[in-house]
Amino acid sequence: MVVSGALMGLVYALIAYGFQLTFATSKSINFGQGELVMLSAFFSLSLLDWGMPYWLMIPGGLLFGVALGLVVERTCVRLALEQKSEGWILMTIIFGLLGFSSAENIWGRDDRPFPTSLPTDALQVFGVNITPLEISVAIGVFTVMGLIELFKRKTLLGKAFEAVSADRDAAELMGVSATRTIMLSYGLSGLVAAMAGILISPITTVGPTMASALILKAFSVAVVAGLDSGFGVVLVGIVLGALESLTSFYLGSGWREAPGLVLLILALAIRPNGVFGKATIRKV
Amino acid sequence: MKKTLLATLIMGMFAAQAYAADAIKIAISGPFSGGSAPMGTSMRDGAKLAIEEINHAGGIMVGGKKLKIEAIERDDEGKNDRGALVAQELASMDDLSGVIGTVNTGVVLAGDKHLQEKGITKIITPAAGSASMTQWTTKGDKPGVADLSIFRFASHDGIQAAMVVEEAINRKLYKVAILHDSTNYGVSGRDDLMSQIKLQGNKLDVVATEKFNIGDKDMTAQLLKAKAAGAQAILIWGIGPELAAVANGEAKIDLKAPLIGGWTLSMSNFIDNAGKNGNGTLMPQTFIEDPINAKVKSFIQHYHKTYNVSRIPSPVSAAQGYDAVLIFAAAVKQANSTDTHKIKEALEDLKEPVKGVINTWKHPFSKWDPANVETHEAFRRADTVMGEVKDGVVVYANKSDRAMMIKKLK
Amino acid sequence: MLKRLLLIRGAELIALAILGTIPLTVSNSYALGLLTLLAIYGILLIGLDVTVGYLGQVNLAQAAFLGIGAYTTGLCINLLGWGMPLSLLAAMGITLVIGALLAFPALRLEGPQFALATLSFTALSTTVLNEWESLTQGAQGLSISRPPLFGINLGASGFYWLCLVLMILVWLAMKNLLSSQWGRAFEALRDSPIATDAMGVGTYRHKVAGFAFGSSLGGLAGGLYVLNFQYLQPQVFTYDLMVILLLGVVLGGRKSLWGAFFGASLIVLLPNLLSNRLLFNVISAIGLLVAVAAGVYGLKKKTMKLFQAMAPVVSMGILVAGGLMVENTEDWRKAIFALMLFSVVVGLPEGIMGFASRYLTQLFRIDPPALPAASALDDVLPMQPADGKALLQLRNLKRHFGGVKAVDDVSFTVSSGHIHGLIGPNGSGKSTAVNVISGLYAPTSGEILLHDKALPYGSLFRVARHGVSRTFQNLQLFGELSALDNVMLALKGVYRHPLPMVLLGFARKEEKRAQADALALLDLVGLRDQARTKAKDLTYGSQRFLEIARALACKPQLLILDEPAAGLSHPDAGNLVNIIKRVHQRGITMILIEHHMDVVSELCDTVTVLDGGKIIAEGTAEVVKRDPLVIKAYLGAAEVTAA
Repeated sequence: MVVSGALMGLVYALIAYGFQLTFATSKSINFGQGELVMLSAFFSLSLLDWGMPYWLMIPGGLLFGVALGLVVERTCVRLALEQKSEGWILMTIIFGLLGFSSAENIWGRDDRPFPTSLPTDALQVFGVNITPLEISVAIGVFTVMGLIELFKRKTLLGKAFEAVSADRDAAELMGVSATRTIMLSYGLSGLVAAMAGILISPITTVGPTMASALILKAFSVAVVAGLDSGFGVVLVGIVLGALESLTSFYLGSGWREAPGLVLLILALAIRPNGVFGKATIRKV
Repeated sequence: MKKTLLATLIMGMFAAQAYAADAIKIAISGPFSGGSAPMGTSMRDGAKLAIEEINHAGGIMVGGKKLKIEAIERDDEGKNDRGALVAQELASMDDLSGVIGTVNTGVVLAGDKHLQEKGITKIITPAAGSASMTQWTTKGDKPGVADLSIFRFASHDGIQAAMVVEEAINRKLYKVAILHDSTNYGVSGRDDLMSQIKLQGNKLDVVATEKFNIGDKDMTAQLLKAKAAGAQAILIWGIGPELAAVANGEAKIDLKAPLIGGWTLSMSNFIDNAGKNGNGTLMPQTFIEDPINAKVKSFIQHYHKTYNVSRIPSPVSAAQGYDAVLIFAAAVKQANSTDTHKIKEALEDLKEPVKGVINTWKHPFSKWDPANVETHEAFRRADTVMGEVKDGVVVYANKSDRAMMIKKLK
Repeated sequence: MLKRLLLIRGAELIALAILGTIPLTVSNSYALGLLTLLAIYGILLIGLDVTVGYLGQVNLAQAAFLGIGAYTTGLCINLLGWGMPLSLLAAMGITLVIGALLAFPALRLEGPQFALATLSFTALSTTVLNEWESLTQGAQGLSISRPPLFGINLGASGFYWLCLVLMILVWLAMKNLLSSQWGRAFEALRDSPIATDAMGVGTYRHKVAGFAFGSSLGGLAGGLYVLNFQYLQPQVFTYDLMVILLLGVVLGGRKSLWGAFFGASLIVLLPNLLSNRLLFNVISAIGLLVAVAAGVYGLKKKTMKLFQAMAPVVSMGILVAGGLMVENTEDWRKAIFALMLFSVVVGLPEGIMGFASRYLTQLFRIDPPALPAASALDDVLPMQPADGKALLQLRNLKRHFGGVKAVDDVSFTVSSGHIHGLIGPNGSGKSTAVNVISGLYAPTSGEILLHDKALPYGSLFRVARHGVSRTFQNLQLFGELSALDNVMLALKGVYRHPLPMVLLGFARKEEKRAQADALALLDLVGLRDQARTKAKDLTYGSQRFLEIARALACKPQLLILDEPAAGLSHPDAGNLVNIIKRVHQRGITMILIEHHMDVVSELCDTVTVLDGGKIIAEGTAEVVKRDPLVIKAYLGAAEVTAA
């Protein structure tokens, strides 16, 4: 039980990681990220329906996620960032609303199963019941996060990314285009969202509301860990997921959301920059 | 600004009056978007099929003239405040003959008082929560309403809970866990189950009572508790997607306890998403998508063709919507009027039997008695059968029920 | 004056008259239901606008306060048998308290973190309402029946009038609040929280109070909500509702009572608009035309970028095309709402009413009300005795950032009535030193004494309250406020009325007095003629002078001027010297950080020279100028060897 809670926690962490990517470069996050997860999952499902083989569907779905991420950046974030306002919060919420309504009408309001090539029977690992699907989630999460971190550290483009995160103005002076880097970060964030959608769909089914519960948790994870903490999200995600399972087991299932939320408000009150975040110094 | 407001108001009012004068106006309200949409839209589409058939045959003879039925659709989104506004709007339409619909019990509780105030006839379907009708009855020293214009055309939760408990006892599954969602529907279902268990002699031992939220996908914690307590069956009250999550969760932790619960277990989003894990699930049904005679067959085929589906998302809702319209039409015919008060009186004393797809309805309602809620309830225990999920479809759990249904529809 | 009264009050009165008489002319219960809801949402959105508009924070907790208020009222009626007024007051009281409790941690956060904290609060309160079955009856819902008001049984129209009256009261209270010191503080907070603190107007305190006040309006709306529907379920008050509320405020226009009201009408009427196909097509077509017109106009005037002009046109175009193609517009309601909002947020960032009121103000040229005569300077800035005693003493002050010793063991004394110069090359620790004195940073170690008593550490606000006021090297004006308001905000000792009295409108007189006092200070720095100009529209030099006037409004014993001459043109530098001399005549002690040695020589009685965080010289300007260490620090070692 704790294990399966922790595995759900990994998915929260993956989505939270998507927030971190964009926050690092632009100090903005996509409040419609949940809809990105959902739309990518639906799109991947449609790819399968159109007869695309399973292994081609994954890159297809990921590309779709990247495209959506770029659309969000262009339509909802760039203008607000240029105006140095926080308009992006509203704009991304609006985007989410549009995405939700479109999905409802294009793919229907019903939840649909997402086929998987993995067997669904549970395995016994060290006395814990675990399904191959859940293992695939863990593998998927670590692969994607690992690859992106590798990309950030080893490639030129990735270094530009790090530079803009560290100091946007200085990076601009060095000839790194902040706009392009922010685009990149939104693209990557879309990719991460799509990955989360594809990984979680076989377990949770696909439907317009599939991500609305997930996204709240992902927010909690991102904020508790700190929006600039890198792998801190993984730890917080696992802890939160496990904690949820424990609460619903011992405290009553209606309260399962509560610890995460209380944790969030407390963490914000005590460490506004997150448990693993860095403090900033006020300047005049 | 004020102008826009006023203009919208005025235009809105005009629009309400701009419908053709000589038609029978029936409002169909329900959640056509949001989580309960599969039930709402199935109900609406079933009702519209019946309307289409009636209109196709020329309409209903009223005052020497054949009038067609005009449907006014209103989406309450499954939200109480929206539902209250929709009811207010409908209550203020002067020439409305009646209302059919509503899925969510909360919406019924928030909205129906506006209709009752104006005496507008409403047939509730498929909302099953007991409180929908008992809110009007005499409770202790609080007298119920003397004259009620609200009818229900659904097998209410009281009947369903009784059947669920009975089924568990019949199958000798004495240790049960109760699982329910945290909405009004789930919580009142839990209470109905508890009182039925008591009523039927406390034969069942409730080993765990657990809750889940709409949107929850991971039910492991709740199911582990049930497993640890040794539950042999899970009595469950919720809607499609979460029910499926429970069925799948059972498979994961290797718990073999059949799900027995409310009629919502026949929703396609449960059956599809649970896949083979849904097999053996039992639920009370008023209608099963099984072409047992020509009329039912034509209804099912017609539905599939018109809405381009291979299976009705919620067959019960669709069939109830369909039959409700037929009953309403019969009342209009008998009242020989489009006046909602006269239709109410006709509904309370329907002379001609109505041949529907669920039953041949003989005198489904009678004069309202605040001490007896059954006067405005169409369904009895005998009108409801047990359905069972088998390889992706709902079938009659007992062969004898099928034969009985065929006989009834004759 | 008359014109102003007619146009502004007139619009309000007409709206009120129309809204008040509708129940007399229309007996349609549906229309009445909508209007009641409009009044309730009006109150709710006015409350939400306090945080979203005036505090500039995306607040996602208002739905929760609506719910808490609704349940409080419902339970007071059901369990305690209270009447309507008492239950509504209880709702306001409880939401006020919870709002304040939430605000304490949450308002330390900014931007996305604040949004997330409030979002979590909404989710948490729904969970609690749902799970606390013994009290709230959980998901089963709570049914109440509306108690009579003072023995009168309110019908639908009676209840509507009650809601309307309450909305008007809230409207008036907000007007009073916004035209008082509180309103100015809210605006100032958004522009520069640091300067707000430094002027002795507590940023945090105002934020918390504003948030709690807005929340209590949410509670009031909640109370009316339950009295209206007479049935409650926890699921109503969730994220979905919150998004709609937030978007209503933005669409109507932030920082505007009319905007909140307009937003409320949109929320209430939109579903109806969609159920009427023709109306929808007409409105979306009008929307497209407006978008095209605004886009062309904006591009021509170069006030908009291409994206900003085109995006609304495209999105309204989709709306029109969609309206013709889609079978059932109700199904697409959320998408339609999203497209409309998108157009408004991109094209008209100040919202529909914000845009309209700006346009109307231009059209009718409404003059602002006349200003009173300036107070006598002696009343505003009484002469302070310049007795030359020690006013400020620094003892072994240190401030380290990690390994960097920005200020390292600095001790000096500022004498009362003197102008004390603080100079040194870039990075010598001057700014850090004054930042520590003024409370922006806490010292790593050491003592700061004012009149031999320790100054508070690390709080701009508390230091300002002790009589130390400052200007900033990088201007920290409240750009959206007028010059007059900038000074009025900082005025100390004028505003005495507590918040409830302000809401009731008893603060008008002290407001006049504040205007007169502020004018006297503007006069001192030569900005009296520009009192109504927005600070961001002043010339650079004038902005510098305005900062001085504003700092003087705190009536300081010690005034810190952080490079006031930086970037000034030659004539302005002359003006600055004159202004400082005039201030000096009032007996106010000053610390002056400056690079221009001529300014320093002309003004300063004593000069302290810092380098590398340490004091390298001290004395009169003439003395330190000749100090070899100072010359070395400024000109480098090579010069010294050459000399």
